[in-house]
Amino acid sequence: MQQETSFQAYPSSKLEKTGKPSGKKIRVGHRKTQLQNRLFFAAAAVLFLVCVSFLDLSWEQFTNGLSSIPNIASKVMTISFDALPDLTDGMLTSIIIAFLTVVISVVLSILLAFLIAENITPVKWAGRVLRYILLVIRTVPTTIWVLLAVASMGFGSMAGVLGLIFPTSSYLIKSFAAQIEESGDETIEAMRAVGASWLQIVFKGLLPGLLLPFLAIVSFRFEMEVAETVMLGMVGAGGIGVLLQDYISYYEFADLALGIIIVFVTIFAVELISNRVRSRLARR
Amino acid sequence: MYNETASPVFRRQKKAKRAISLALLAAAVVFSVWYVKFDPVEFLSGIPIFITFIFADFLPPNLTNLKSYTGPVLDTLVFAVVGTFISSALGLVTAFLMARNTSPHPAVRIILRGIVSFVRNVPFLVWASLLVVIFGVGTMPGLFALLVFGTCFLARVYAESIEELDKDATEALEASGASHVQIIKHAIIPQFMPAYFSWTLFMFEINIRSSAILGLVGAGGIGSNLKQSMDLFQYGRASMIIVILIVLILAVEFLTQKIRERIL
Repeated sequence: MQQETSFQAYPSSKLEKTGKPSGKKIRVGHRKTQLQNRLFFAAAAVLFLVCVSFLDLSWEQFTNGLSSIPNIASKVMTISFDALPDLTDGMLTSIIIAFLTVVISVVLSILLAFLIAENITPVKWAGRVLRYILLVIRTVPTTIWVLLAVASMGFGSMAGVLGLIFPTSSYLIKSFAAQIEESGDETIEAMRAVGASWLQIVFKGLLPGLLLPFLAIVSFRFEMEVAETVMLGMVGAGGIGVLLQDYISYYEFADLALGIIIVFVTIFAVELISNRVRSRLARR
Repeated sequence: MYNETASPVFRRQKKAKRAISLALLAAAVVFSVWYVKFDPVEFLSGIPIFITFIFADFLPPNLTNLKSYTGPVLDTLVFAVVGTFISSALGLVTAFLMARNTSPHPAVRIILRGIVSFVRNVPFLVWASLLVVIFGVGTMPGLFALLVFGTCFLARVYAESIEELDKDATEALEASGASHVQIIKHAIIPQFMPAYFSWTLFMFEINIRSSAILGLVGAGGIGSNLKQSMDLFQYGRASMIIVILIVLILAVEFLTQKIRERIL
């Protein structure tokens, strides 16, 4: 609170007279920023208190939960390798679902991205309408798409792929289009000037130069997709998530521990690989 | 296009490389299709079924009894607010202990990094459903799942932004004999504020989405209503919930965007 006392409050004459530091602190921060920060935190604190009072959390549930942790933890610690074949099969299925989704979505998205990018779209208004549709598709959480797909196709990895295609392509189309808008202007202008058709501009002019940046986007999305497929299994779309959900609901914590470790290692490895791919692409 | 001047050997190598990678990709696709018994015909015929399902069974949303949705929507918002708050506080402490330039000891840093990366790399629903087993069905496991995941996510991004900060201010203060705490207070925190606001607002957006899907594993929020109505085949109700979700998420994104513009 010492910062409140502003430097101007002490006339220079006073300082000159005494000749020694007054012991008060000199204000360092920018006043408007500080005010803004205080306002932000005050508003946030009020909001927080209102929300906490709204939540009714029972203390009993909390203590009961806490007391059951040691029991569960000790079961988790007795990690068993009995389920290893099942789990590796599940993990592989999850990765494959992610892979197939990305492959199908890439094909779809490359076609659609050129319809949407502002600088190359053949029909302006159609591009704009499609943009809004994609925004809505992206807003619905991935898990809900899969839930819908499962409801229409039944359980299994195919429902997973179908459900994932929507958010994945929507994301890819948006990123691809942004890339086209960012780097395509000069090529488009040059090729238009010499009278190239739309197809020629897209396939001969833009695509060759955009392949590497697209690949970087795809590798990033694949990384997200693997994490996503693990979750999706938990709502019935095949893969390792189904197993994890089963282990949790039947209290088989020893198998669950192995499952979590396998998931962790796989996602970590995918992240490392995709990071390396991207840094290699960036160096080219 | 650019290879016109390159030697033909180089060109041939490049072509061969491309052919090999395409072949590998094709092989991977074939293997995948075989491994998960993916039937392209069934898949393709599934798409129209899916679309008719959405348009015939799902839409239009059931507009009756709108009042029954306000409770879950408020729950979801409250979840996200409380989750963001506590996890931003916890994440801040963890981040300062974890970032290279503010960490008190390298051992602390390495241990925290390990824990954070472990929690972050196991998907969020797994933690949520594990917490449901521990604390029982209800709002508590959902909130804790948001907390655990949010703290680890924020700790990582905060720590990264702290490490990226300019060293000049820190060095200047160090040279004038400031203590560790003073350096953090006067050199690091003011510089770190914009990143803090921006990541915290982003976390709030993520939390809104996550608290919507938490209900699918029985952890409260609007997701549990969605799951319930899907299980009971009340698709009109389910689609109404999804519409509400879309509006909610878009509104929150718009709001955080506005706050960002004001603050940064």
